[in-house]
Amino acid sequence: MLEGNGNAARVVAASRKARKSGIEPGMTLPQARALVPKLIARGRDRACERAAQQALLEVAETFSPRVEDAGEGVVYLDLDGHPRLLPLSAGDGRPLFSLSKGGAHAALSPLTLPSPPAGARGDSEAPSRVARDALSLPPLPAGEGRGEGRLLPLPAGEGRGEGHSRLASLARDILHAAEKGSLPARVGVAASKLAARIAASLPDTPTVVSEGSESEFLAPLPLEKLAPEMEIAAALERWGLRTVGDLARLPEGEVASRLGESGRALHATARGIDPRPLEPYLPPPAFSEGMDLEWPLASLEPFLFVGHAALERLVRRLEAQALACARLEVALKLDPDGHDVRAISLPAPTRDVKTLLTLVRLELEARPPGAAVAGFSFAAHPDQPRRAQLSLFGPAALSPDRLATTIARLAALLGAERVGSPSTVDGHVPERFALTGYAPPPPPNARVPPPQGRGLLGVRVLRPPVPLEVIVDSPDLPAGGVGSLPPLPTGEIGSPPPLPAGEGRGEGRAIPPRPISLKSPPDSTPPISGAVRVAAGPWSLEEGWWSESPADRDYWDVELANGGLYRIYRDRGAGSWFADGVYD
Amino acid sequence: MGVSSAVAIQELLEGRAPAKKPGGSALLSGLGARLTRASNLLSPSHRDPLPTSVPGLDRLLAGGLPRGGLVELASARSSGRFSVAIAALAATTSSGESAALVDLGGHLDPQAAVAAGVELTRLLWVRPHRVKEAVASAEMLLATGFSLVVVDLGLAPVRGRFVPDAAWLRLGRTARSRGAALLLSTPYRLAGHAADAVVAMESSSALWCGTGGAPRLLEGLSSRLTLQKYARARSGLSEAVMLSVWEVPHVVIPSAARHPGLLRHLPGKVRDPSSLRSSG
Repeated sequence: MLEGNGNAARVVAASRKARKSGIEPGMTLPQARALVPKLIARGRDRACERAAQQALLEVAETFSPRVEDAGEGVVYLDLDGHPRLLPLSAGDGRPLFSLSKGGAHAALSPLTLPSPPAGARGDSEAPSRVARDALSLPPLPAGEGRGEGRLLPLPAGEGRGEGHSRLASLARDILHAAEKGSLPARVGVAASKLAARIAASLPDTPTVVSEGSESEFLAPLPLEKLAPEMEIAAALERWGLRTVGDLARLPEGEVASRLGESGRALHATARGIDPRPLEPYLPPPAFSEGMDLEWPLASLEPFLFVGHAALERLVRRLEAQALACARLEVALKLDPDGHDVRAISLPAPTRDVKTLLTLVRLELEARPPGAAVAGFSFAAHPDQPRRAQLSLFGPAALSPDRLATTIARLAALLGAERVGSPSTVDGHVPERFALTGYAPPPPPNARVPPPQGRGLLGVRVLRPPVPLEVIVDSPDLPAGGVGSLPPLPTGEIGSPPPLPAGEGRGEGRAIPPRPISLKSPPDSTPPISGAVRVAAGPWSLEEGWWSESPADRDYWDVELANGGLYRIYRDRGAGSWFADGVYD
Repeated sequence: MGVSSAVAIQELLEGRAPAKKPGGSALLSGLGARLTRASNLLSPSHRDPLPTSVPGLDRLLAGGLPRGGLVELASARSSGRFSVAIAALAATTSSGESAALVDLGGHLDPQAAVAAGVELTRLLWVRPHRVKEAVASAEMLLATGFSLVVVDLGLAPVRGRFVPDAAWLRLGRTARSRGAALLLSTPYRLAGHAADAVVAMESSSALWCGTGGAPRLLEGLSSRLTLQKYARARSGLSEAVMLSVWEVPHVVIPSAARHPGLLRHLPGKVRDPSSLRSSG
């Protein structure tokens, strides 16, 4: 199993046969192929791994309601109070189970944690029973790495043998359940997470580690099983320690004085002490509210009246989790049968019921359902609401929640493409623009006096350009004694580069026609009409000649006799005139 | 409160001791130190105006757009109204505050706005289809907490201009309650008596480089602002505004006003003596 592309791909897992041939995780693909020329390489599929992890969690949940998702193919489950173990609960320690999938080892062995102080949990007679289900990803081919269950010798005691066999039987059932789901797994049973995890990594499965024999179970194992830090591992190797038992036999104080806190924790681990509690897996909450109506609703207002209450409940639930709604799914049950499902995306997460109700109203008004509504449900996709740090001395920042609500309402009212933050676009065509989501940066910590105004004359861009009927003078005889310039080099409109004397006056080039009168169609907005008093230009603009919509224009600045200062252009391709800006 | 108490308070406010001590005078004396005439209370619109970086307009409005007030800027096309609105947005956003532009015609050119000094990341651009949508959008934006909301109703004629007066009153009241500045840019007066200030803008002339048969080049626009209504200033005041096509630094030439021949060949900003005064 490889991760990466080409020769840079690295081995992340290998079958037993491949490992026996010398292939190890971390090798590059060429290195692996050098060892095994007929190597079958597969790319890592994370979606498949997530699905396998979820499947293993579901298997574990059929045995215990308390399941921990440890990731990387490892799942822990708590078997405390399992019906098949109940007779053993009294005075039977705290067996832990570990189930591992896909590795080359499988084991189930009981271990016990140090018993809690009497009364610490209010039930010293029935301490908790925790099972751990460890899944090692990526999965290996089924049937590999599995062996017969190996039971460690249990300490003598009344009922121990029966309890051990019950644990082993339960672990086998877990294994079988995993196999039914096409999950080759390994199981380790112990009283602590660490011991159960290590038990699940052993070749034989299931392995049950009996209570009180954690150190005995761990002692013969190599130190690598404890995954020590690199520096500590090097120090232990220098000391000549090879097994967990070698480390456990050292005095704790001496180890701590030489290796620090990490060394002390490792020493405790070597003695089978793992105080980490099980962290139950919580499935992601489903924020859904709805109801079946007593009679079908055919009009919008009664539906919104009923839906308002459901949305309020939904928002309260989101608020309790400090979440907001980023997407709302509306599912309608139609009368007599049929469903209508639609999704409403919000520009920003919000918890405003009014906004959500407005969006639902607009959605239903735009696309009414085909029949009366007999039931409905609202499902919210939660997301973190926007947060902002308020400034003490600077300008007040906008409330992110309120801003998100406003943008959502504006988007519902006008359309999402008409609300946002403008941004510049590379190019020369004046009407170009882009719109992005509005997310203002935090205000400065102190008020900044505004800089001196630049006093620039702005242009109202006309989108789309207004078509014009233009009367031009004779190219050879400039009208009204007004001179004209030949086309200047392509540049930004409104800021033509100054021409040195004589430059740009091409010899033999025709003088372009000069507009002397403009008139727009009667229904155009704004209406433009009048004789040209002054005209300046043309400035040539050519852009995107390689595209399907090239711009090849001659621009003019014109002042009309009846007022108005316009920027017009002549499309050289079609020969038509347009006004695309008003100086204002 | 009895008549005698009211008289006592009146005398306290006028700085005179009550001629006859009424009952509970000690309490009134204690309160008198903290009593202020309601007319002397500063309304939000009288505090910390929002500069527009247009010197003429700031002078007319005693420092800038009043926070919590509705200022209507009315003018015909090509008088520089849109440029003044962009300058106000530039001043607000460059000082770190958020602003919104309700642009009925969708006339904004982001490139030109950046050149004018607008920080686009702090600007929310809303492009409604109709005037009613513009008014509704402006009310939402004012309620959200934007420091400046500019409503530009585009060029005449305004489609769907029959907006009830109550809508403008409501806008003005929302701006007042939120302490936000609202600049209404209209081709003609629309807000009626709901506007706290009305400024008319008249275009004097376009400024061209070159005369006669020489090639022409647009240099800028000369315009005049006239205060038609404002509670805190005398109406009828006017200021000249000079807008240039080019972004050039202010050049101060002390003898500029005496040499118009020289000024003809300089960028537009130094041609207006009032501009020189404002920059100096």
